[in-house]
Amino acid sequence: MTRTLLIPLCLIALAVSDASLAQETQTPPPTDQTQTTPPAGTDTTDSDQPAATIEEDAATPDSPAATEGDADQPAAVAEEATPDTAAPEATDDTATAAEDDQPAAVTEETTTETTQTEATDSPATEDDQPAEAAGETTTDSAATTDSAATTDQPADAAEEAAEPSAAATEDGAADAATASDDTAGTETEAEGDTPSDAVAAAPQPEVGADWPFYGGDAGATRYSPLDQINRENVAQLERVFTYHTGDLPEGEAVGMYSPETTPLKVGDDLLMCSAMNVLISVDAATGEENWRYDPGVPNEAIPYGATCRGVTLYTDPEAAEGDACATRVIEGTLDAKLVAVDAATGAPCEDFGENGTVDLWQDLGERVPGWYAVTAPPVVVRGVVVTGAQVLDGQAEDSPSGVIRAYDVRTGELAWAWDLGAPEANRDGPPEGEVYTRGTPNMWTTAVADEELGYIYLPMGNSAVDYYGSNRSEQENEYATSLVALDATTGEEVWHFQTVRHDVWDYDLGSQPSLIDFEGTPAVVLASKQGDIYVLDRATGEPLTPVDEITDLPQGDVEPDYIADSQPISTWHTLRKPPLEEKDTWGFTPIDQLWCRIKFRQANYEGYMTPPSADKPWIQYPGYNGGSDWGSVAIDTERGIMIANYNDIPNYNQLIPRERADEMGLKPIDEVESRAGAPEGAGDPQTGSPYAINVNAGWRSELTGMPCSSPPYGGIRAIDMATGETLWDRPIGTARRNGPFGIPSFLPFDIGTPNNGGSVVTAGGLVFIAAATDNLFRAIDIETGETLWSTVLPAGGQANPITYEVDGRQYVMVTAMGHHFMETPVGDEVIAWALPEE
Amino acid sequence: MVTGTENHSPHRRNYAVMTLGWICVLLGLAILAGGVWLILLGGSWYYAPAGLGLMLTGLMLNWHRMDAVWIYGLTWLGTAIWAYWEVGTDWWAQLPRMLAPTLILILVLICIPALRRR
Repeated sequence: MTRTLLIPLCLIALAVSDASLAQETQTPPPTDQTQTTPPAGTDTTDSDQPAATIEEDAATPDSPAATEGDADQPAAVAEEATPDTAAPEATDDTATAAEDDQPAAVTEETTTETTQTEATDSPATEDDQPAEAAGETTTDSAATTDSAATTDQPADAAEEAAEPSAAATEDGAADAATASDDTAGTETEAEGDTPSDAVAAAPQPEVGADWPFYGGDAGATRYSPLDQINRENVAQLERVFTYHTGDLPEGEAVGMYSPETTPLKVGDDLLMCSAMNVLISVDAATGEENWRYDPGVPNEAIPYGATCRGVTLYTDPEAAEGDACATRVIEGTLDAKLVAVDAATGAPCEDFGENGTVDLWQDLGERVPGWYAVTAPPVVVRGVVVTGAQVLDGQAEDSPSGVIRAYDVRTGELAWAWDLGAPEANRDGPPEGEVYTRGTPNMWTTAVADEELGYIYLPMGNSAVDYYGSNRSEQENEYATSLVALDATTGEEVWHFQTVRHDVWDYDLGSQPSLIDFEGTPAVVLASKQGDIYVLDRATGEPLTPVDEITDLPQGDVEPDYIADSQPISTWHTLRKPPLEEKDTWGFTPIDQLWCRIKFRQANYEGYMTPPSADKPWIQYPGYNGGSDWGSVAIDTERGIMIANYNDIPNYNQLIPRERADEMGLKPIDEVESRAGAPEGAGDPQTGSPYAINVNAGWRSELTGMPCSSPPYGGIRAIDMATGETLWDRPIGTARRNGPFGIPSFLPFDIGTPNNGGSVVTAGGLVFIAAATDNLFRAIDIETGETLWSTVLPAGGQANPITYEVDGRQYVMVTAMGHHFMETPVGDEVIAWALPEE
Repeated sequence: MVTGTENHSPHRRNYAVMTLGWICVLLGLAILAGGVWLILLGGSWYYAPAGLGLMLTGLMLNWHRMDAVWIYGLTWLGTAIWAYWEVGTDWWAQLPRMLAPTLILILVLICIPALRRR
């Protein structure tokens, strides 16, 4: 009798089908702390706060009314736009217009503010042209969306670009060439039509057969119009080829590999970098290597991990086909170089910098390998190639600058620098003998640019010391964790939008923003590590979706005057889950769960944005891995669906007083002999501040190595772009590779694992994504969230996939190279799948 | 685990049962201690009594007393009710709460033939 009772119970406890966890169709409730106090009031408390960001909240139509029904407001907007409508922009102009009224008013304010700053800063000589241009751009872009009958160059380019034929692109190239000739000759004429005078907008290559940008198209939507592989036939996918880069860790690089590599595909070739920055061209149909170029990056240059997320392509509209470097491949390297080689041959572009190389260490101060490293593909816009860099976190306040620099894409000469500590003074580089402002927030991830508008959007991270802020400058406070729009021609700031005030949680912006048309307005979509997703006006930075704020946040004991008592949140959509409770701890047995409960009760935790503490640990939830990290979101612009994969993991942190840190021997990178590949923040010195930091990333139990929080640890979600509502949400990642003491459980259930790397969405109705730590690569039905196909990778698939076409055959591709932080096996494979040939 | 005898001799020591008994005593003590600590930290009151129940079960097993079954049955039932109250049908969340206690229940039940009725 007893056994018949017990067996089902056992089975129930074990046998968890994904059905019970998946298919949640509700948006998580807004955070409990959500309140809508008039932001103008709180504004006065802190002079550092970005006034513009707060004020617009007050002006947003819904804020005054919002008592508890924050979730209702987006819904109200939703009702006007039917979720079925294919293109969001096609919904209805009236609704947009009505909604836009108020924000538009605010927009003017902001624009005035920005312009004022610029006006006071720059004497009214030639320099006022960019400022004017910025103003005009706003109207220009509005006009562009309203009527196609504009004659100015950007619109032309856009129209032509919309045609998929190769001939059209060539024409466009020719047009652009003439146009740039014109503008170069006559500066005065350029006033009205082109937003800036230096370089006209060049036509952008189209995504489809090619995958010409890291994010697919120029707007980084990660959407492909290919539909040969679709929901009906995806199960038949078979491996076509596997290419080995041959780049595997050796010596001290062992345990530090996280290549995160995504190839580009143009013409017949795949173009990529390996973990240690070897540039490679591979035949896109066969996987045979065309050429490789090794810039010789030493192991000591590896910062946190050996990472090269991708390369950037630039086709010179003035070059003839066959010219050397007519199309060039550009990458930023771990040892801080920009390298440009000929896409056809792999030969260095001799006209670019010194023999194809620009040294980024210039004007940064002492050269310390591994402290300053480029891991993300640079962005080319208006004839300049723009890059930031990873500045190794948590070392010292006196760290290399987070300066953003733009170089002439042909010559490699510095076009401008945006040093947020001295934007005017250092625009053309620091004065002789000086360096860019040290310790400032950096941009380690990928930017996105609007070639027509001439703006580049920079997702900024934090200052060099992440978990202590009282020593930061006004400018650091202003720009950290902000999306910053710069005029790509001048390097001047146009607007910025801050996602965390006084960030002491390492909530760097990690995702590449995406450019879309949102209800008729050119918009930029920004997903954050806290999970909030914002949609901003590309021209002004004004939120197009409701932004609210949480107030009365805990101040903590360490630096209560510095900790912000309010923070912005997106009430349109957030990936963030409700705060943790003791019962959310986990384990495999009551004993390890009990241990985690004790740890939970021992820590400071007052929900989202609990400030750092030194007397005891504090829980940071979500942890620094996201929310949305560098994998970014993918947006099916045809169906109006955004796909976001995310992590749902807390960190368990503690500040370490300096004296104790010294006893522990914590030293910054410029004072240590060698470094081990510990997870970021696990004993970082933060020299210059009164505290070091110890991060237990993922809050792992000391007893079992398992997370102390309950699964799922990662999910993937579809969001209706018209309403911001969740269409489906499910865990991503099976338990097959995970288990206590690091033993694989081989359980096929969707437990929901940590994940890094994004997705691709296709016109075939599929989402392709690896990312999770189960080493699976899978195709998911974009309408239902159901996994339709999956395959086991030979190594961790922590990279963004791509899809492309050669000779009428569609391929999907992902690199399987592993990830030290995700603890997946290392590899060097680049793998392509396609449907069987008939 | 084979109890090995149909002979309910009260004088016969069954080492398998005693091993399980000691395991239960040790685990029970750990859970009792941790549970008291957790109560002092302001946390759940489940663990201390559950640990006590497990420890008593272990003692009874060492003495080959049938009370082990009743005490553990009660502990397990209480655990099931508490676990359902705390996380409902979230099966991943039930794993740490119910899996090990249920395995122990099975082992305790297997011991029945070797236990002495009063």
